[in-house]
Amino acid sequence: MFTRWLKIVALLMFFVPWPAHALLTIEITGGSEAALPIAIVPFGNEGFAPPEDISSIISNDLKSSGRFAPLKQSELISQPHEGQQVNFADWRLLRSEGLLIGKVSSQDGENYQVQFQLYDVYKSQQLVGKRYNVPASGMRTLAHQIADVVYETLTGEKGVFSTRLAFVTEIKNVDGSKRYALQISDADGANPRTVLQSRQPIMSPSWSPDGDRLAYVTFENAKSEIYVQELSTGKRQSVASFRGLNSAPAWSPDGKKLAVTLSKNGNPEIYILELSTGKLSRVTHNSQAIDTEAVWMPNGREILFTSDRGGRPQIYKVNADGGRAERVTFEGNYNASADISPDGRMMTMVHGVNGGFHIAVQDLETGAVQVLTETRADESPSFAPNGRMILYATEQKGRGILAAVSVDGQIKQRLGESGSAVREPAWSPFKK
Amino acid sequence: MKHNIVDNLFAGASSLVLHVVLLAMFIIGMDMTSTPKPLAQEPQKEIVQATVLDENLVEQEVARLEKLEQDKKNAEQERQQKVQDQLEETQKELARKEQEYQDMEERARIEAEQRAKAAEEEQQRIADLAKQREAEEQKRLEAEKQRKQEEELKQKAEAERKQAELEKQKVEAEKKRLEEEKRKAEAEKKRLEEEKQKAAEEKRKAEEAKKKAEAEKKRLEEEKRKAEAEAKRKAEEAKRKAEEEARRKAAESDLQRQLEQEQQERETRRVKGVVDQYSLMIQQRVKRYWLRPANVQSGLQCTVQVSLLPGGDVKNVKIVKSSGNAVFDRSAESAVYKAAPLPQPSDPKAAAALRDFQFIFKPE
Repeated sequence: MFTRWLKIVALLMFFVPWPAHALLTIEITGGSEAALPIAIVPFGNEGFAPPEDISSIISNDLKSSGRFAPLKQSELISQPHEGQQVNFADWRLLRSEGLLIGKVSSQDGENYQVQFQLYDVYKSQQLVGKRYNVPASGMRTLAHQIADVVYETLTGEKGVFSTRLAFVTEIKNVDGSKRYALQISDADGANPRTVLQSRQPIMSPSWSPDGDRLAYVTFENAKSEIYVQELSTGKRQSVASFRGLNSAPAWSPDGKKLAVTLSKNGNPEIYILELSTGKLSRVTHNSQAIDTEAVWMPNGREILFTSDRGGRPQIYKVNADGGRAERVTFEGNYNASADISPDGRMMTMVHGVNGGFHIAVQDLETGAVQVLTETRADESPSFAPNGRMILYATEQKGRGILAAVSVDGQIKQRLGESGSAVREPAWSPFKK
Repeated sequence: MKHNIVDNLFAGASSLVLHVVLLAMFIIGMDMTSTPKPLAQEPQKEIVQATVLDENLVEQEVARLEKLEQDKKNAEQERQQKVQDQLEETQKELARKEQEYQDMEERARIEAEQRAKAAEEEQQRIADLAKQREAEEQKRLEAEKQRKQEEELKQKAEAERKQAELEKQKVEAEKKRLEEEKRKAEAEKKRLEEEKQKAAEEKRKAEEAKKKAEAEKKRLEEEKRKAEAEAKRKAEEAKRKAEEEARRKAAESDLQRQLEQEQQERETRRVKGVVDQYSLMIQQRVKRYWLRPANVQSGLQCTVQVSLLPGGDVKNVKIVKSSGNAVFDRSAESAVYKAAPLPQPSDPKAAAALRDFQFIFKPE
């Protein structure tokens, strides 16, 4: 009887080895954050040819982010421009997850209609599609916008391709004199335009949180001064011109204050300047050391700054309304020029080790430091507004250039093809 | 010639008469010879077998025979008397017949006279002759009568002699019979003895047979007993064997069941092994193809239900539990699609288990 029971049970087990309620489950952990394969088909064209190769711009943008691996043009199986021309099976063969197609048409060469569609190849599904009317001059900006849409659609994060970079160029004249320019470019370093020129050095550009204004330091009046300039109008205003040193402005997250370094009392200290009233409040009180390069935490209550109060420059943190500063960096004998990621979790800084100065990131929670670059004269790291990339200046053949590195150090790229030496870059916030 | 005819006629008449007379005499004679005649008997051969008898028995037998002889003599006298009586009676009868003859003679004479009357001349003419002839005939008849009487006496004496002879023969026959009886008795006795012997023999034989039969019976019983014992032994042996066989079979059956069960367990284990192996292969493959979005908040996790086609191609992918992050979910779906065709075991059971299943995607 018992054996019969067993037999029945065995039979049941035999026939129902995996009952429906115990559906076999396979756990997939890890995975990779490797670049996503995407097919970007050159946009079709009707009528006047567009002044920019939109699909190339988009492709470069996506590639520069390190998050995408656009297929090479030669790999493209076909060149559909409209949905009904797409054969998804072809693109699946290429293991391409995304497919971007589009077309540009113009009747007059001045105004263009641009449309694009982004598909999920495996689900044979359109993820997003848009249509724009744009003047010829706006074609590059539109391309960056489309790249942002693609990026955001496929990564879930905002793209930074429509954001801007501010940096200072230094041009040596033939007579040996130098000409400085404050410039703004697209996020890919292209399309630079000068917002300020000077025969005297320009330093430390800083973006207002809304991206409409820049604060910077000039020496045009034979002394250091802090200006705030409205980009759309070019109108500017000196906000700090105290005796001694006026430098390193940093916008508070609410855009109402600047943290600045002043030496009006003899020793460089961190102050907070209320822009609407011009009221100053001192944050640091260490007369033996230099405290400078303040940066606000996103919460607007704390400030990080560089100080050599410990003998060598290190990063410290202090409440914006003063108080005791605490040291943040402990690795390496030199840490300076901090910037904070938009989410406040990561800090990037120039990290000096073995006589070299590299871009590093430090997890503010754990204190873990990761050096991202191998170049030896890196400076002024600045987070992209989505926190994925870090813009910095480095030297190539004795000349300053712009470069960007992903926060994981995987992607490094040089930005722009400026003929001039570039220094002190700053990545803009998202356009509000 | 005439003479002849007369002669002949006469001769004829006389012949007729003579015939009538002779006929009558024959009839009478027949009557006369109706007396008992000894039968000519073939004398029986005497076969006497000498036998030694008991003296007493012989004497007794002799006495008995003497007595018997005496009795016979008496009977003989009686019989002689009877014969005498019979003789007298016969004579009387003869006389009576004589009378009757005479009567018949008378009637014949009358008739003859009547005929003589009719033929008186004839009768006269032949009277002499007839007389002569009658006388001669008378004489001859008388001589004949006398001869007949003598013959009769002679025959009678002969008959008596024969009778005596017969008697003697009878006695001898009787004696012989007695002897025969004696012999027979002896033979009977012998026969009886033989029979007795035979009976004894038969009895012996019967006893022997009985003994034999008993022995046989006993033997048969023994055999039967043995056969029964053998049968019983065999039955027990068979039973024992059957039980043993049953036990063996039961053991075998149990073993078989156990083997089957083990087989099934092995099969289940095997299938599970294959499934596990292929699960691992599928996991590795999907993992390789999973491009999860970077910089997502930690702790994201989504469950994807997958239906495969027989070749391992994806029939359907469905997010059954979203991570809340569309990009993360899509990365999981895409990973499954990209990994297709997923490794599929050739074993149908294992393949069936891997036809519908689910993935849980989580970065760590």
